[in-house]
Amino acid sequence: MSPADLAPVPAPASTSSALHGPADVPADEWEPRRGAVGRMLRSEMALVFGRRRNVALLSGLAAVPLLLGLVLFVAQDTALAGQGPGFVGRVTGNGLFLVVASLFLCLPFLLPLTIGIATGDAIAGEAAGGTLRYLLSLPVRRTRLLLVKALATLAFVAAAVLAIAVVALAAGALLFGLSDLTLLSGATIPVGEGVLRMAGVVGYVALSLTGLVAVGLFYSTLTEVPVGAMAGTVVTAVVSAVLDTLPQLAVIHPALLTHHWLDFAEFLRLEVDPAVLGQGLAVQAAWVAVFGSLAWSRFTTADVTS
Amino acid sequence: MTQSTTRTDVVAGAPRPRRSAWAVPAGVAIAVAAAFATPPLLASAGDDALPDITAEQLAERVASAEPAPLSGTVVHTARLGLPELPLTEATGADPVALLGGSSTLRVWTDGDERSRVALLGAASEYSVVTDGPEAWTYSSTTGEVVHYSLDDAGRARYEETAADLRAGLVPDVVGSLPTPEEAARTALEQVEGYSTVTLDAQTTVAGRAAYQLVVTPRDAETLVGRVVVAVDAETSTPLRVQVWSAQDVQVPALEVGFTDVTFAQPDDGVLTFSTPAGAVVREVVVPMQEPKDPGALAELLAAEPPAPGEPVDPALLPEGVTTSGTGWETVTEVSGVDVAAVLAGDPAALTALPESERLIGSDRAQDLISEFLPDEEQASAFELDTTTLYDSLTTEVPEGRLLTSALVSVLVTTDGRVLYGAVPADVLRALA
Repeated sequence: MSPADLAPVPAPASTSSALHGPADVPADEWEPRRGAVGRMLRSEMALVFGRRRNVALLSGLAAVPLLLGLVLFVAQDTALAGQGPGFVGRVTGNGLFLVVASLFLCLPFLLPLTIGIATGDAIAGEAAGGTLRYLLSLPVRRTRLLLVKALATLAFVAAAVLAIAVVALAAGALLFGLSDLTLLSGATIPVGEGVLRMAGVVGYVALSLTGLVAVGLFYSTLTEVPVGAMAGTVVTAVVSAVLDTLPQLAVIHPALLTHHWLDFAEFLRLEVDPAVLGQGLAVQAAWVAVFGSLAWSRFTTADVTS
Repeated sequence: MTQSTTRTDVVAGAPRPRRSAWAVPAGVAIAVAAAFATPPLLASAGDDALPDITAEQLAERVASAEPAPLSGTVVHTARLGLPELPLTEATGADPVALLGGSSTLRVWTDGDERSRVALLGAASEYSVVTDGPEAWTYSSTTGEVVHYSLDDAGRARYEETAADLRAGLVPDVVGSLPTPEEAARTALEQVEGYSTVTLDAQTTVAGRAAYQLVVTPRDAETLVGRVVVAVDAETSTPLRVQVWSAQDVQVPALEVGFTDVTFAQPDDGVLTFSTPAGAVVREVVVPMQEPKDPGALAELLAAEPPAPGEPVDPALLPEGVTTSGTGWETVTEVSGVDVAAVLAGDPAALTALPESERLIGSDRAQDLISEFLPDEEQASAFELDTTTLYDSLTTEVPEGRLLTSALVSVLVTTDGRVLYGAVPADVLRALA
């Protein structure tokens, strides 16, 4: 360590008041304390959801369905009505489809970008701000600290998906009205069941992003440059999507991070096959296990100097 | 690192010893790989516990088995060696996708008159629902419903015909979807006379113990190497059909089989078709399939497959269609086809195509067709798709345009004849 590292540092901005007490205890007397993890999680949540850029990000994502809904509303009497990829063409007939259409549009890039920002901030952001070592001085083991960071990031990503879905449902209901849902097979189900199916779609989309969160957290433990971790996360998602389009790589497709993302369409089929959904979730669980443990190994063994 | 040298285990926030920590992700990765690799290995381990039977017994069991009510997932894989299709990725679930690559289908049937087969796309679906004398297709991409029904005479005939003879009377659906059962039926039709039938090792398909029936053509001049039908030991339902090309011994050229199957009566809602609100419905009335001489319907239905070495009785074929060769080597020739006009979506050309005359031959149906097809938007879309498809699939030869694949060759001659058969392209060119 250089002498500069040992010089007094201004009080960390990212650790909130709830955490200040134990930081005064000399390093040699640390003992994990009961309740410290819970307090830390609460403070981390407040921090993540209180960051102005995160609030702006959530608002931006929530604006996507609003914008899409307005565009489709304005264009619904023109010749272009009923066109568009995925479910976009069906929105004007039934506002419920705005939920799937918005998620369909956000999945390839906007949601991975959100994950990149959230995970990049989680650890690399603290390191870049010089606050990570203060966090490590708290009476909480590194494993639990990583867990707290992961939970807060997951909560933020889930909030992002939920924000899109809720705004889409509201905008869809206002602009186009909700009616009985026509499934991909041509069968029609009542609107109540349709809303339930949409809830299933939202849940599946949120869960299928967990693998990328784990990957992003791992990148975040590797670097002190948050932008690097963010870019790495987004690039991973994009590369995975590109590999998924190459027929020569068909063998590895089922294991790709993004391969099963669009399987949320299963909720719009006549009979929802749990095996299809289970397969997608199992792949995500595998990515979480591998990259979660990689992040854990890296984070618990790394020398943190900033 | 001074902090890490003391009280590493107890001190929170301090780094762990390196090596042991990195062993964890390695272990996790191995465990994950094992978890994903084990079930397929177990499934393919095979199960030789089934009682021994002969190939003839098995073929008979399949032929006499009552169709069972079932639902399941079918994977259809085609490696026909056709040129890359430029359209399949963009169009969503479309029967054209079956020509190449892997497609997933869901099948529900009550084992009797009602069934639903759905071709799954990433965010789309193409369904074919059959209910006795009626059938519907629905494409979620276009939102179009096509309703096929028999005309009054055909319906009357259908009502009075015994259940086991009805199969020949149901309307032909353009763009119908394959199921293992149907594929097996086609293969087994050729069994007698032209093929040798043997048994292969017992196997497991969709988690069920199955016998394997191998049908090998005796004819030398065919592209079909052999057809392997995996038959469920319990219900004698065909679970998987593999068609091997004579040219490729590594992988089957065509494979259609269940990956998951449940033998139970499907939900009633699944087997009924209700037209979604706002969908465009196109009605196709299929005229009764009247054989040439009246009263010969029973004869046609009961007709024995032609004896070995004899071509198909020409009286049973529609006008303009002739065959040459026998068994697997049969080449069918259809004359008087204006291919360019058919591709352009001209309804008049469709009447000239004897194959399709069977489908839309009546005046009433023809009126309907001409009412729908000249519609500006539809006609242009039709033209774009089929002409591009036709051009990318076929190659220019002196006799016309030729389509070659691992199993079938098709030659469209410049003078409007179409020859096709499971034979090498040279055979067709020699005949033309």
